[in-house]
Amino acid sequence: MARIRDRNEDFKDAVRHAAVSAGYDESKLASIMASFIIHKPKQSSPFTRAALKTLENIGALEQFMMKHRKDYMDMHRTTEQERDSIEQEVAEFVKACKEQIDILKTSINNEDTNAKGWLGIRADGNNVDTIAHKHGVVLILSEKLHAVTSEFDKLRAIRFQDAINKRIPRRKQKRVTNSSSTGASNVLDQPELKESDETQLERPRLQHQVELTNLLDSVQQTETKMVEMSALNHLMSTHVLQQAQQIEHLYDQAVEATKNVELGNKELSQAIQRNSSSRTFLVLFLFVLTFSILFLDWYS
Amino acid sequence: MTLNLRQKQTECIIRMLNLNQPVNSTGTANEEVYKILIYDKFCQNILSPLIHVKDLRKHGVTLYFLIDKDRKPVHDVPAVYFVQPCQPNIHRIITDASRGLYDSLHLNFSSSIPRPLLEDLASGTLGSDSINRIAKVHDQYLEFVTLEDSLFSLAQKSTYVQLNDPSAGDKEIEEIVEKIVSGLFCVLATLAVVPVIRCPRGGPAEMVASALDQKLRDHLLAKNNLFSEGGNFMSSFQRPILCLFDRNFELAVGIQHDFRYCPLVHDVLGLKLNRLAVQGEKGGMRSYELDSSDPFWLTNGSLAFPEVAEAIETQLNKYKKDVDEVNRRTGGADGQPEFEGTDLIGNTKHLMNAVNSLPELTERKQVIDKHTNIATVLLGEIKERSLDSYANKENDMMIKGGIDRSELMSVLKGKGSKMDKLRFAIIYLISSETINPQEAELVESALKESEVDTCAFQYVKKIKSLNVQLASANSASRSNIVDWAEKLYGQSLSAVTAGVKNLLSGGRQLALTRTVEALMEGKPNPEIDNYLVLDPRAPKSSSGAGGLKGPFKEAIVFMVGGGNYVEYGGLQELAQRQQPVKHIVYGTTEILTGPEFVDQLTLLGQKMGLGVSSANPPAPAQ
Repeated sequence: MARIRDRNEDFKDAVRHAAVSAGYDESKLASIMASFIIHKPKQSSPFTRAALKTLENIGALEQFMMKHRKDYMDMHRTTEQERDSIEQEVAEFVKACKEQIDILKTSINNEDTNAKGWLGIRADGNNVDTIAHKHGVVLILSEKLHAVTSEFDKLRAIRFQDAINKRIPRRKQKRVTNSSSTGASNVLDQPELKESDETQLERPRLQHQVELTNLLDSVQQTETKMVEMSALNHLMSTHVLQQAQQIEHLYDQAVEATKNVELGNKELSQAIQRNSSSRTFLVLFLFVLTFSILFLDWYS
Repeated sequence: MTLNLRQKQTECIIRMLNLNQPVNSTGTANEEVYKILIYDKFCQNILSPLIHVKDLRKHGVTLYFLIDKDRKPVHDVPAVYFVQPCQPNIHRIITDASRGLYDSLHLNFSSSIPRPLLEDLASGTLGSDSINRIAKVHDQYLEFVTLEDSLFSLAQKSTYVQLNDPSAGDKEIEEIVEKIVSGLFCVLATLAVVPVIRCPRGGPAEMVASALDQKLRDHLLAKNNLFSEGGNFMSSFQRPILCLFDRNFELAVGIQHDFRYCPLVHDVLGLKLNRLAVQGEKGGMRSYELDSSDPFWLTNGSLAFPEVAEAIETQLNKYKKDVDEVNRRTGGADGQPEFEGTDLIGNTKHLMNAVNSLPELTERKQVIDKHTNIATVLLGEIKERSLDSYANKENDMMIKGGIDRSELMSVLKGKGSKMDKLRFAIIYLISSETINPQEAELVESALKESEVDTCAFQYVKKIKSLNVQLASANSASRSNIVDWAEKLYGQSLSAVTAGVKNLLSGGRQLALTRTVEALMEGKPNPEIDNYLVLDPRAPKSSSGAGGLKGPFKEAIVFMVGGGNYVEYGGLQELAQRQQPVKHIVYGTTEILTGPEFVDQLTLLGQKMGLGVSSANPPAPAQ
């Protein structure tokens, strides 16, 4: 990659040169030079600190996912239960992060409404640009969270695909064996119809058999329905997490607001101008009217 | 090493957005993760084809402002400034620092900031006691606009006018050459290569070449130069060649009507920084983006317009088929789905596939809609101005070297805007070997009848009569047959088949393409033998080493005075045609449409005093 030219040294030289020519004494010069090397510790606002913490949490979530990814994916390493527990942990983590993001969002709105105060004058720390910046920070956080969760959803989708695939051949197998067994029992029926004793025993047995097969069928249908529902659920959950779009909307509006403030100022000054000019016109008009009435009166 | 200029520039910008620190992948939240980006107008043009707003957010930029806007303080965030090093910007930075708008300022200048301005900055911030706010100062060397992977522009307006202005003094010319050289230096620094420079003798190209050579030499002697250290044993195989040309080398290309999709969109609809604004079907103005993320544009940009219409048709049919299939599978449209009975699992699977493929389908539909809209608008313009006949006739003129008088008159009196007729007349001038004064008179009177401003026409006539190298373009194109015969006797079969393919394809090969091909091959060729060779790495007194003329795998072609997409397309075609595939990067001082270039010619004509119909004594040529 191309290298860039670091001009800090040149800048320091220029500063020293300028300081000397402006007549700064030795101690001041030294302190200025020192400030280049030692930076004052920055004080960050509570908002920024909270945002950084949330970012750390999302980073930790990502690392957790990476670590267990192999365990989750591989068919034979973990049981279904372990996979479920991983999913649960991830879901809780995601919920916690989402809550933090929501807290940040509400804090922006609260500050906004509180600081409006009386006469609608905002304090210095809450101007339009800062609010847009805070919305931007929240948006970045939620986009990151969304990216991490969609990664995870992809893994879940693969898992469900495998589950569905496992079900289909098993069901088909069962169906085949069922039909063959009912076919066999029908064939067995006929030669045994002659003997009434044995038919007495046969009928409840057949009934039981039919009942059981029906039960088995319905159980399997329920099973497949459950699998289907969880697959659809996974679809819906991805879309629900798209509330990031709403946050984006808010952010765009905040940026618009910064632009509108300027336009608003322009419009105000124009209105003031027009007001004054129209006032003079009106005064002149009335003046002329009065005099013309007096003149006509005097004339006639 | 492939010269992918766009990628390199994007990398540099991303690095700048990360405050010029190496991107650490452990994801620890360092303090300065959220920043604000501030730029000026020129740098906005640099950034807009490369990065979208969404990508900015990925790198932690929450807000972005123009430097001139009235901005409010935002506490505890660093601000990244990306501006040109000029006086008003420096003042604004000093004001911002003294008002304490942001916690720390990281200053990045698009080219090297000169010493006096740096001292201005130092004294200003010292005076307002805000030195501790300025964290870092960097020179980014990014003062050029990259439109596509191998296409860049320096965005310097009206260089052709300024260089050819008869009243321009030496100092002004030197200033312009200096600006061009600094822009080219930025390009080379971003690519981190020191090329071998070749240019035709005489004219602005030679001035730029020698100035650039000097600058590179001076820079390489400095201690920590920007180019990789291991350059001493790099053979000429790995160094690219930088070919500099002047617009007068081939004037016709800047003026001609072309009938391919990309040049048409640029010429007729005005493509700026890969953005286009057209009248939508429902009446509003829609703005589209046409760059390498648009697959249709990538594959079909260089096709002739009728083929593009066909391509849109096929894409649309394919899309409709895919949508029908999705609907069928999930029982959407008709209600009679085609799955076996109660196979609910299959249904779910189809549903999932459909939902997953929906975004892709909507994207495809959007692309198709966009191009349908553009093509419709283009078609309207073409029909109204009969641009296809202009393009065909001009092509014929350049190949044959002349045109039937009656045909010429009919075109001048026929359809087309005034600019079209003027361009046609100028191409007629350029294409004919000698100017028949009677015909020229006829043409001029025809133009005056249609109320066309003839300054540009007269300017070109004057230039041609002074016998500048315009003729070379014309005669060279017709001597293709002679070249072909030579190759048949002298060289290998591949050259013959290439030449035959060229003739048979009917497309006229641009003089520029031919020259660049010859320069890249490095075999002795009468056309290019008297071109200058400059090598900034070689010590000053050595003669041109033989190795420098060997075949080059990569080339950077720069056109001083204005270029366009036709030349870019021609060069890309050349690069693809070679075996093995070579890379050619094309750049110019600015990308001009035909009308814009003719406007510059008109300006020159007016400066020369040719606008008035009375005959003036010819001014001393540049």
